[in-house]
Amino acid sequence: MARNRKYQSAAIRFGPALKAFLLCLLLGGSGLGYVWLKDQISRLGRQIKQSELRLDELQYQSDKLRKQLGAMRSPLFLERRIQELGLGLAPAQPAQVWLLAEPAGDEPHGGSARQYAAPRLGQGEPNG
Amino acid sequence: MLTLLMGAAFAALAYRLIDLQVLRYDELSAKARGNTIREFLLEPRRGDILDAKGNLLATSVFVKTVCADPMLIGPRAAEVARAVAPLLQMSEAELQERLKPRLTRNEQGVLTTNRYVVLKRKVQLETWQQIQAVMTNLSFGLDEKKLSRAERAFYRGLRRAGVYAEPVDDQLRVYPNHALAAHVLGYVGMSEREIDGRRHLETSGKDGLERVFDSKLAGVRGWRVTETDRPGREVVSLRKQNVEPHDGYNLVLTLDSVAQHIVESALAEAMEKYSPVSISGLVVRPRTGGILAMATLPNFDPNNPGAAVPDARRNRIITDVTEPGSTFKIVVVSGALNDRVVQLSDSFDCENGRFHFAGRVLHDHKPYGVLSVENIIAKSSNIGAAKIGIKLKEDRLYDYIRDFGFGARTSLSLPGEVSGIVHPVKNWSKVSIVQIPMGHGMAATGLQMTMAMCALANKGVLMRPMLVDRLEDRDHNVITKYPPQRVRQVISEAAARQMIQALKAVVLPGGTAPEAALEHYTVAGKTGTAQKSGGPSGYLPGKYFASFIGFFPADEPEVCISIMLDEPKHGYYGGQVAAPVFKQIAERLAGYLNINPEDGETLPGTGAVTVSLDNRTFKTAAARSQ
Repeated sequence: MARNRKYQSAAIRFGPALKAFLLCLLLGGSGLGYVWLKDQISRLGRQIKQSELRLDELQYQSDKLRKQLGAMRSPLFLERRIQELGLGLAPAQPAQVWLLAEPAGDEPHGGSARQYAAPRLGQGEPNG
Repeated sequence: MLTLLMGAAFAALAYRLIDLQVLRYDELSAKARGNTIREFLLEPRRGDILDAKGNLLATSVFVKTVCADPMLIGPRAAEVARAVAPLLQMSEAELQERLKPRLTRNEQGVLTTNRYVVLKRKVQLETWQQIQAVMTNLSFGLDEKKLSRAERAFYRGLRRAGVYAEPVDDQLRVYPNHALAAHVLGYVGMSEREIDGRRHLETSGKDGLERVFDSKLAGVRGWRVTETDRPGREVVSLRKQNVEPHDGYNLVLTLDSVAQHIVESALAEAMEKYSPVSISGLVVRPRTGGILAMATLPNFDPNNPGAAVPDARRNRIITDVTEPGSTFKIVVVSGALNDRVVQLSDSFDCENGRFHFAGRVLHDHKPYGVLSVENIIAKSSNIGAAKIGIKLKEDRLYDYIRDFGFGARTSLSLPGEVSGIVHPVKNWSKVSIVQIPMGHGMAATGLQMTMAMCALANKGVLMRPMLVDRLEDRDHNVITKYPPQRVRQVISEAAARQMIQALKAVVLPGGTAPEAALEHYTVAGKTGTAQKSGGPSGYLPGKYFASFIGFFPADEPEVCISIMLDEPKHGYYGGQVAAPVFKQIAERLAGYLNINPEDGETLPGTGAVTVSLDNRTFKTAAARSQ
């Protein structure tokens, strides 16, 4: 009986040690996991901040470019550029416009004959 | 003894613990939160203003407000001023003065230091980044390794927080076209608003569409409650609240920037030629009431409205009233035609230019004998119009005046519009019935007069003028659409057609405005020349208000254009000074808007011409008729 108890007691001592080890592992693992998670949260936070700063920067650039485009498309700017580059562009004068009647057979909806504007032949065109 | 001492020590510690954790919990927790938790307001982006084709008329860019902490800068103000002044484009002396530490006594009599001084507002982001770089690398000519710890901390603090930007971003409103459509767009300014007990400066509309649509353009602020680390950087993972701002809506107008430019260029030329006090032009789509262009000179640059005199910032088309003169004859004649009191072919004796009525003598600018109703309009006879007014009778004339929209605001979405002056019939004098038909004894705005002409062009239907087509979000989803609004049918379609027939005669040779005639379109319009009221005699000698309001193509009107000159110097008749400006604008607009030339038009100085395009033969109208 005593011998049996001796053998039993060794088995019992191994059990609590294992439990204690597993508990420590669990606690240690949880601690490490917690730290890892916190680190991940912090890292993601930094990434979010960087992305937000980048987004702000891009939005600022976009606003700036939109402003620049707006200025470049303004009639005043275009007119000034045309003069600077000497392109000689100007609105068509009435005398430069030919009025062409739509052929009777081609009238799309049978309504009144529509007319179209086209440049007068021989005017404003290069010779040859 | 030792037990007693230990017991007392533990009791003291327990008391301290209770004191800190229970008794002073609220105070200390607030203090702890104050050390780390920060609240930021997030500024929404103000919406853009776009023209009918999506061209940018007004936009916003985020900018910084650069501030300084003079107490932190202390004796190093001169060095900081020297480094920062060129970037802020300020004088070094002025900046140094602002950076001086000051002690002031507040309302409670407590001495306070100036830890917050605004150095400059509306600083571009690039400039702010340069300032940050300059401050970080600022050298004071010292070997800082030899300094004490406290001194090193002072210089570190100075470089980091001596000059800083306000946490709430500001916005700079930019008008890329400068003065184009300035009176329509208006301008913005700064106004102070209290949020959670703290004062904030914010951008708000002060005039024009910027003011009327301020709440839609401004957007809604967001906020962020978060924690910061020791150097003041945000710890994103500890963010508690984050409500994104809601950007303002974009405003899409009926206005077309190219049409506006055409009008403004023509007005500028006329301004130079006739030197009036002011000149105004308005282009409206008669079918919808949509305004394509609205311009007044002198004008101003909304990027810098303070540089212009107040008079230049006034949109005279809606804020100024004048006696319209002969353009108003359209009201009395339309009314008479609508009531069938007269026909276009009816004749009136125009008394050779002198008509005695109620003890007064009424004059025409030229002596006319018998004129038809059509010719009364074409030649702009005051006596003829007066006689039609007498035939129409006072009550009906008054009804038509009101129905055409005079004496009431048009409800255009711009601030400052006035209703004009129309007296009720009971207040009319004996001569009112002959004065009013020729556009005297009442006053109207340029917009009212133009909309009345548009009603004739639109088959007798008066439309509400509109400037805003829709509101959009930033992704161009339509939030609100503003459809054209019909006000009322003022006269019958038949009467409107008769009026157009009469108005076509105005631009023919023999009419008052042959200079308004277009080569490929039939124009219908009316001139106006009114002596300006004022002075002891009631009218100012030699000072006139000249105008021409017309539309084309006369039978299928696409645009109605009105030109108004206040006190032109070289010539004063509407047909002489306003009609050529109308023609100049109309010709360019016709090309730009692709308005189909009218049928049966012949080419000037050409015979039959055949043009071959893509193996198909087209003939000109002239060629086909032969």
